[in-house]
Amino acid sequence: MDMLNALVSGFLQCFNLSTFNLMLIGIAIGFVVGILPGLGGPTAMALMLPFVFKMSAVEAFAFLLGMTAVTSTTGDITSVLFGVPGEPTTASTIVDGHAMARNGEAGRALGAVLMSSLVGAVFAGVALGAAIPIIRPLVLSFGSPEFFMMALLGISFVAALSGEDVLKGMVAGGIGLMLATIGLDPISGIQRYTFGHLFLWDGIGLVPITIGFYAIPETIELAVLGTSIAKQEVGNLGGVMEGVKDTFRHWWLVIRCSALGCFTAIIPGMGAATTQWLAYAHAVQSSPDKERFGKGDVRGVLGPGAANNSTLGGSLITTIAFGVPASVVMAILLGAFIIQGIVPGPDMLLPPPKGKLDLTYSFVWVIIISNVITVATCFLFLKPLARVTQVRGSIIIPLILVLIYLGAFAEKNAFEDMIVVLFFGALGWVMEKMEWPRPPVLLGLVLGPLAENRLFLSTDNYGWAWTTRPGVIGIFVLTLAGIFYPMIKSRREALQKARAETTPGEAEPGSRGLHFNLPTLFAGMVIVVLAIALWQSRNFGYRAGLFPWVIGIPTLILAFGQFARDIYGKEKKATRVAMSVESPVEVAPAITRKRTLSIIAWTIGFFLAIWLLGFSYAVPLTILLYLKFAGERWFITAAVTFFSWLFYWGLFEKLLNVPFPEGLLITLIKGGE
Amino acid sequence: MNRFLCAWTVIVALGFTNASRAASVDDFYKGKNVRIVVGFSAGGGFDTYARALARHMGKHIPGGPGVVVENMTGAGSLIAANHVFKVAKPDGLTVGHFIGGLFLGQVLGQAGIEFDARKFEFIGAPISDHVVCAMTKASGISSIDRWIAAKTPVKMGGIAPGTSTPDNATRILKAALGLPIQLVTGYKGTAEVRLAAEGGEVAGGCWGWDSVSVTWRKALDSGDAVVVLQANRKTHPELANVPQAIKFAKSEEARKMIDVGIHGDSDIVRTYTLPPGTPKDRLQALRQAFDATLKDAEFVADAKKSRLNIGPIPVEDIEKDISGLFKLDPALLSKLKEVLYN
Repeated sequence: MDMLNALVSGFLQCFNLSTFNLMLIGIAIGFVVGILPGLGGPTAMALMLPFVFKMSAVEAFAFLLGMTAVTSTTGDITSVLFGVPGEPTTASTIVDGHAMARNGEAGRALGAVLMSSLVGAVFAGVALGAAIPIIRPLVLSFGSPEFFMMALLGISFVAALSGEDVLKGMVAGGIGLMLATIGLDPISGIQRYTFGHLFLWDGIGLVPITIGFYAIPETIELAVLGTSIAKQEVGNLGGVMEGVKDTFRHWWLVIRCSALGCFTAIIPGMGAATTQWLAYAHAVQSSPDKERFGKGDVRGVLGPGAANNSTLGGSLITTIAFGVPASVVMAILLGAFIIQGIVPGPDMLLPPPKGKLDLTYSFVWVIIISNVITVATCFLFLKPLARVTQVRGSIIIPLILVLIYLGAFAEKNAFEDMIVVLFFGALGWVMEKMEWPRPPVLLGLVLGPLAENRLFLSTDNYGWAWTTRPGVIGIFVLTLAGIFYPMIKSRREALQKARAETTPGEAEPGSRGLHFNLPTLFAGMVIVVLAIALWQSRNFGYRAGLFPWVIGIPTLILAFGQFARDIYGKEKKATRVAMSVESPVEVAPAITRKRTLSIIAWTIGFFLAIWLLGFSYAVPLTILLYLKFAGERWFITAAVTFFSWLFYWGLFEKLLNVPFPEGLLITLIKGGE
Repeated sequence: MNRFLCAWTVIVALGFTNASRAASVDDFYKGKNVRIVVGFSAGGGFDTYARALARHMGKHIPGGPGVVVENMTGAGSLIAANHVFKVAKPDGLTVGHFIGGLFLGQVLGQAGIEFDARKFEFIGAPISDHVVCAMTKASGISSIDRWIAAKTPVKMGGIAPGTSTPDNATRILKAALGLPIQLVTGYKGTAEVRLAAEGGEVAGGCWGWDSVSVTWRKALDSGDAVVVLQANRKTHPELANVPQAIKFAKSEEARKMIDVGIHGDSDIVRTYTLPPGTPKDRLQALRQAFDATLKDAEFVADAKKSRLNIGPIPVEDIEKDISGLFKLDPALLSKLKEVLYN
């Protein structure tokens, strides 16, 4: 009864006039922050923290949570439309969401992602409300060993993220885990793969990697095809309502992914950056037909859409019940708790006379209400938003380039992050061309540190005795089942299929013999880099070296397997031709080459301009030149340049005070005075 | 800028009075922005403090400049420290705020340090850390006597080698007092250590009282967590009954290790610094502004709300602590190095 009272009281508290107004302001800020890449929820919250001083507790959290709750929702919009992640938590939406936009289904993808976001948020609210009494004992029964096993379970999802080629996927996952070891080893403090650069001490950030991995290849393709983002018109089928219907068509998937996001987020260190990929993997794994994933399957949008929103609820619980911030956003929220004189802990889960459950419930309500408001508002704008995908590529490309570099720089105010973007842009582009799956790299990258840390905490604490804990064994069995069940299932299906029809042979036998082609070269390079990395790790010592060895050696062996397949195997020419039929736009190879070189030159040129002239000159100059070279009229050129400069200058320079570095040449000129 | 420097040199050369010098500082800061380069990310303890200061410090600097916080994260704030030393112009417009454990790091030869602690200009520190060791009731370590008598090593949570608290403090206590300790390191912050303690994975940990007293309040009040030891030069008023670690030290070396590695480190952990070579009059102006801000009623009210304690460390004490680090006996240094990094 008390709990019910708290639930109702929490709800009513949200509708106090000033609270509601502050929530609306928070939502409006979060809306913009979510859409803009590089400008993340954490930054926005930190900037808003001072305003919280004068608010009451409910008001403060309505404001802050309202702001945070919508960032993952609107971040999805940028991911879908431009292939640039609006937030680090919305990267996985790009894989199928942006592919849908390219197919002319932007409206449908947006409808689906918004609707599933709403479901995710509501589900998280309800599930948490219901789970509150058991949460504390449940979480306390989990220790480092169980957290490690959960990370391992997450890593096993790599197989599902690999697409048709599990071997490549596993190598890619291994590469991701190896990338995660860059930086200061947290256990012994030894530098791993930092090459003496302080910048690499903390490892490489998820944001620049994701931006590079997806946004740069997408930009190159956009330029090569010479179309708008949407390559074709598909009429109503690509509409918003269709996406909404999709959410209900795949209702169980959406619910399962919501649950996955919400409950895994209770583990400290598992934020939406991780859960979105787990949800994506789950969507792939649980779908009987997997062929369209990565090419614009709506299920690949629904899963992450739901999970990255439900995650907030789960993280909130660890923060409230234990005072352990599950993510950066939560760490800042914790600061706000303290400002408000609230001590997170068990009382937050007890009904009013003893505790503050009504306040906790008001948080849950804020998450739900702010998402309802956001999604409703978005639907009003979706049609014009989706139309962005029909704007000429030549106008959109320079703007995407601006978003790429601003997004990369502004997260940590680090110039080096722009180099990371270029490097991973090149890598992502090559991987795409060579048909290597990219999601496993990112999954490895986000789970690697968690796995390594918890493994060492477990062995430090318990020796190897932790492996016999019941929770550990339980999760291990679950992991094995997750790996083998789909394998067995697909084998059985294949057998049945084989019985039903005698296979008419593969499309084309292809030529046997040694192939010294580009895929072989790439696989060879992977081997070389892994080998060098392993060779480097010989000096790390046992504590810092164990993880790179345990990951690096099997990955190297698998990479040799891939190399062998590439050099002495069937060439997959037949399938590749079949795939390109999907694209209605055909570009002659000579033009492709010319356009590719040109866009690469522009991308690098923009970076050089930023380096030499600084953002404030490079942004307008590059946009102007690009538009002029693309043959745009002066009026459009001037207007687009002016408004994008105004946007950059007003928001990033004036309002946010981002400390952009001065260009090298400018410094020289000024110094020479 | 250059023109100003010339003008300033002329003024000093002519031996103008203090009043006119204040006026020149006033002219300099008018309409400008002072930036506080914080070595940690937005929302953390260092950042919260810096932002609270930034909101109120401008009006205490002659000319009333704006004060903005800039987060330059990385390498445990070493990137910011190197930046303030090497890159930032010594014009009195850049203030650095990074972790003071790096100063000890320099003496111990920590990799990546490109500054010389003795050349920084300090404008003050708002508070010193008060290191305490807190244990859960469930661990059975309810007092220092029980700790000393423990048959098996007591599991204590850590974050990473070289971290002032919990790691350095815990390692030094183990080495200096011979306490039975098994340091389990690798948690992402003291909040995770606390969660591990509540779940029974470790017995507790040693870190700042300012943090423990806020985040573990409930457990302390109910007796589910107990502060069994403190390591501070001055006993914190709230910790009157908690024994001081240094009293249990048996040798001069042990006492010295605690004094340098824990006590000394606590005072300089949250310093605000200027790049070497900042003009003396601006340094003076910023020092005065810093002191005045810490006494400013509005700032105090803000700080109280955010549970930021105030207990300014005089600049002379900071400078004494820093120069003390460089006069340490080589034998003690190599001992410390062994204790902290092996």
